[in-house]
Amino acid sequence: MQEITQTDQKQFSREELRERIAHWMGPERVPKKFSIITDTTDFYRVDYDDVVILGEIPYLIRNNEREGRFGIDDQQKYWVKRARDLSDGSVKIIKLVFHERFQSKVGGITFDCFRSPQKEARILDLTKGHPRFMQGFALKDSSNNVIRIIDYIRGKTLADAVLKYGQDHEDYFYNYFPSIFDEYMELVEAIRFLHEHDDKHGDIRRDHIIREEGTGNSRWIDFDFDYLHKENVFGYDLFGLGNILTYLTGRGDVTSQLLQQASSPLISHLTEHDMNIIFNNRVVNLKKVYPYVPAELNNILLHFSMAANVFYDNTGQLLNDLNEARVKLNKP
Amino acid sequence: MDSKIANNRNILIAVDESENAKRAVLYVKDLLAGLSGFHITLITIIPEPPEDYFMSESEKTEWVKDKNVSARRIIEGYHKIFSEAGFREEDVKSHAVMKKCASIAECILNEKDNLACGTVVIGRRGISKKEEFIFGSTSSKILHTAKDCSIWVIE
Repeated sequence: MQEITQTDQKQFSREELRERIAHWMGPERVPKKFSIITDTTDFYRVDYDDVVILGEIPYLIRNNEREGRFGIDDQQKYWVKRARDLSDGSVKIIKLVFHERFQSKVGGITFDCFRSPQKEARILDLTKGHPRFMQGFALKDSSNNVIRIIDYIRGKTLADAVLKYGQDHEDYFYNYFPSIFDEYMELVEAIRFLHEHDDKHGDIRRDHIIREEGTGNSRWIDFDFDYLHKENVFGYDLFGLGNILTYLTGRGDVTSQLLQQASSPLISHLTEHDMNIIFNNRVVNLKKVYPYVPAELNNILLHFSMAANVFYDNTGQLLNDLNEARVKLNKP
Repeated sequence: MDSKIANNRNILIAVDESENAKRAVLYVKDLLAGLSGFHITLITIIPEPPEDYFMSESEKTEWVKDKNVSARRIIEGYHKIFSEAGFREEDVKSHAVMKKCASIAECILNEKDNLACGTVVIGRRGISKKEEFIFGSTSSKILHTAKDCSIWVIE
């Protein structure tokens, strides 16, 4: 297990902190009153304008991060703070310790999940310098809490980014999708890297890929989720990868509701076998909707359909099929 | 390579607290009662959660203790079924194995090799296709990956 060292928290005077805040944020942003915190156990008490000292570095706390999921109003994550590093002015995400265990339900299947700061710390260490993962490090606060300091990634989710490509789906598919597919394959390779090191992402979904402004690198974020696996340790990760591929291929979710709203004649040609095995309103047999989707790619998608009898056990199998499908793209 | 030679009359029954495991035990009991020359090992695998799951060492210790107690209770109950059916004590053994399992099927098959069993008996839970898709099926994996042994899947 990775050892996370506990370093002494450096002492800073209030005056010194005020100077640093003024330097990086501007004199008008120096708070009149602020708490200096070294023990973050009660993360609700770590508030806007407080200064958290971790190791050698003071961080000025800004807002709590939020997480939106499928149209539900964004939920504040009180244990995840946006902050300014007062040693270099950079924006960081500081993830405080929040242990939780709960049961998730997907498609009527219930399974045990938990949140683990240690897991995220280990993966940050493992993926240091990897262009497909968020970057950061972990250290302990004065109460031994494993805190993760993460470089803020400026950019949109990959899912949001693809929606603006192409005048229509066909234009998107021929002119933009091949390079998005390459990007997706690199993201799958990155997950294979985790799996080969006996770790899983744990919460693969499309809003956990951020495409970084400037470099254009899409990176996986948020590794603190985990689940108690049953027979196939990586099955849930693979399910997430399949959903993302379906979304990218379709330039968004193609749902039975959308086809109905558009009075599409296709709706009468779809059967339950064409739908996602878990999300039964999402079409995965996209060749029925977009006939130019190559069979090799469509066959991958069908592994995630109600009709599937063979499932992917590991990312290697998926990547083999993706490589075969790749040569068929770009050929109108 | 394991030098142990598997014997078809060494029968491994993989059990847990489910009804399908009980069916597997009762099937073997009914099939072999009164016959000699068979050795039965009841095994229950306790998959150990990852280290990350526990918030402290003491919590883990408590978890291990609880699981061991319930595992012992399960296999002792099944052991009794064989004893009451007239199986000799020396022909029925039971083990609870706690280990980190990437796959329960692989753990069962490893134990099969360690104990030189030539027959593995499992109950089929009858999981949905959705569940098999996301989490896999232990009985399917055993059927597809087992080597040098017979597999009895009890419905």
